[in-house]
Amino acid sequence: MKHRKTRSKTTLLGTAAILAGLTGQAMAQEGELVMINWLGGAQGEMMSKLQEDFEAKYPDVTVRNVVPQAGGDARGGIRAVLMGGEQADLLINTWPAFRAELIEAGLILPLDDSYASTDWGDKLGESWQALSTVNGENYGVTYTFGDRSGIWYRTDTMEKAGITPPETYQEFIGGFATLNDAGITPISVPAKVWAHAEWFESLLLRTAGAEYMTRLANGEASWTDDEVKVALQKWQEMLAANCCDDGNTMLALDWDISVDAALKTGDAAYVLMGMWLNTRAKQEYGDTPGADFDIFQFPTFGMGHDDESMVDAKEFNILSSVENREAADAFISYMLTADAAAIMAEYGLASPSTEVDLSIYDPVIQRSVSEVNSAEKLQFVLGDLLPGDLGSEYRVALQRFLQEPSDETIDTITAQLANVAKGVY
Amino acid sequence: MSIAQTTEMGGPNGPPKGTLRIKVPKQLSDTQAAWFLLAPLLIFFAISVVYPVIETIRLSFYDIRGLAPEKFDGWRNYVKLFSDPNFLTSLKVTFIWAISATFFSVTIGWGLAMLCSLNPAKTLVFRVMIFAAYGVSEAVSGFMWLGIYRPDYGLLNGILEGIGLSGWTQPWLGNPSTALGAVIVAYVWTQVGLPLMTCFASIQSIPKNLFEAAYIDGAKSGSVMRHIIAPLSMPGVRVAIFINLLNSLKAFDLIFILTGGGPVRSTETVGFFMYRESMLNFKLGYGAASTVILLIAVLIVSIPLIMKRTGDAK
Repeated sequence: MKHRKTRSKTTLLGTAAILAGLTGQAMAQEGELVMINWLGGAQGEMMSKLQEDFEAKYPDVTVRNVVPQAGGDARGGIRAVLMGGEQADLLINTWPAFRAELIEAGLILPLDDSYASTDWGDKLGESWQALSTVNGENYGVTYTFGDRSGIWYRTDTMEKAGITPPETYQEFIGGFATLNDAGITPISVPAKVWAHAEWFESLLLRTAGAEYMTRLANGEASWTDDEVKVALQKWQEMLAANCCDDGNTMLALDWDISVDAALKTGDAAYVLMGMWLNTRAKQEYGDTPGADFDIFQFPTFGMGHDDESMVDAKEFNILSSVENREAADAFISYMLTADAAAIMAEYGLASPSTEVDLSIYDPVIQRSVSEVNSAEKLQFVLGDLLPGDLGSEYRVALQRFLQEPSDETIDTITAQLANVAKGVY
Repeated sequence: MSIAQTTEMGGPNGPPKGTLRIKVPKQLSDTQAAWFLLAPLLIFFAISVVYPVIETIRLSFYDIRGLAPEKFDGWRNYVKLFSDPNFLTSLKVTFIWAISATFFSVTIGWGLAMLCSLNPAKTLVFRVMIFAAYGVSEAVSGFMWLGIYRPDYGLLNGILEGIGLSGWTQPWLGNPSTALGAVIVAYVWTQVGLPLMTCFASIQSIPKNLFEAAYIDGAKSGSVMRHIIAPLSMPGVRVAIFINLLNSLKAFDLIFILTGGGPVRSTETVGFFMYRESMLNFKLGYGAASTVILLIAVLIVSIPLIMKRTGDAK
């Protein structure tokens, strides 16, 4: 009897201690959490929903959004907000080059201490932590990502042409004739602004690998290297095999027109772009992921880099103007939970958190997440790693290549990019 | 006016001690009154125009990259600008753009105004419709023209195919040799309403007896247009040239939506160059220097015209 009493007391005390701990944790976060939030459209809605869920879990915290005013690239608006001296705790960021600028200006804080004192490190694999690490210090926590090595297609388009998703480069390029014969443009390349660079970057990843791309982005490799030329020559081969529309048509296409061609009308077979297409196809076209449309990984080239994937990611940075660090840490922790991932999954986006069960995703996201998780190396989209001047010049140089994909153009544009790169690092 | 408090005792009918007495100052002179009335406007103008211009000129002498601290750089931004092939291209594009857009907008508007003046009552609806396009925002017009120029299901290519001119179809906004022309056509569509209205107003002010005399002398409509309406509507044409030229120099939205300055920078005006350098590459000093160049161009265009108009008014 005495033994049972002691056990009851212990259980009671343990329960009380756990409750006290939990309450203490919830009570520690209070006040206003200020977030520089530039997300719009479906992702903006998703963030609102995540914030509401966070506020429900932490009722003493109120989230206030500072919305930068900017048309096009949101970085301009974010810079204006920061230069205007706006106090905020968290910043949503998706550009590694911008992160470097923020670090140089001393506007964001290293998060290594938070990684050590929380479970962020357990929930984010090493590859994800490496993506937000600069000079040995970790400045970001990735909360969502997209597989940028995934090629999107409509299942009925492939059935119409009588082909299956290719696995190798030879199968890929060999299928162009079949698709053209069926009246389908194999690839829709939207080269009006930025999206054409995805193809070059995927080719560079397969032919030269992630490590080389990182060196190129950091200015440690030259644009006149053979690696860059080989990737462009592969693109030359694809163009010669009638992969795409003529150069001027590609230059007239914005990304949404290309996506419509591949995933709505079926005028084109493939489009290479980020995960937001999943939301677009589901919400705007009313299609079912996995049944009406699907995704396959960029074909293998047998050049030693077939198990590498290109990704984009969105992360949280903690600003040096932070006033509510506890709430900021709590929000980041929340973003790595299964509850947050479930909300993201509703909007067709994926969480990098290891706490998430893949079954919450639709088949397309499941495939993408599996590919990224199994990749040996992850490479961030190159265009977002390049400093401003070089990033602009890089996209224009690739437009020039698409207009006239000759060896002379390759020599000219690579020399030109090397020259611009000299002035920016 | 000022309100003074007095402590002195008045006479039998004077104000009691401690009450307020209104002291009326002497009347303001005309000059003082003018400054007094202009003051709110001048203060607003100084804050919203003069200060930003001075700040832009100041920034143009600094090297500002991203969020890094600014460094004084003297005239280097200006020297660099004139050796930057992208800026020189944008100057050329701006020149072609401004001259073509103004020429076509004013010529078409003036021509339509002369035609409308032959029967003002029956052309009212037509004039309102044309002018409405001027009232539509450039962004809205941009999306409309984007649909017209689309390479796949665009209206223009559809019409060309429909009338058997399939060989003429092309990606109008993707071909560097047609993109600028295509954007100018869209821009002229948005701008033609203004010259139509200014020229029409000018024509309406021509004394009616001149027309009566011409018709009594047996003049045909063509002669009346050539010898009476055209020369006497020149004040309206000059105003239209002035406004359209200034509008074209600051045009941005339409170019942003239709081409984003491309393909291969073929439609990048100085205004767009400034946006790219300041807001995308975030080289604020360099972007400010290009703004100052654009400002000088606008002043070169506008000062002589303003002086001419002021002289005409005197």
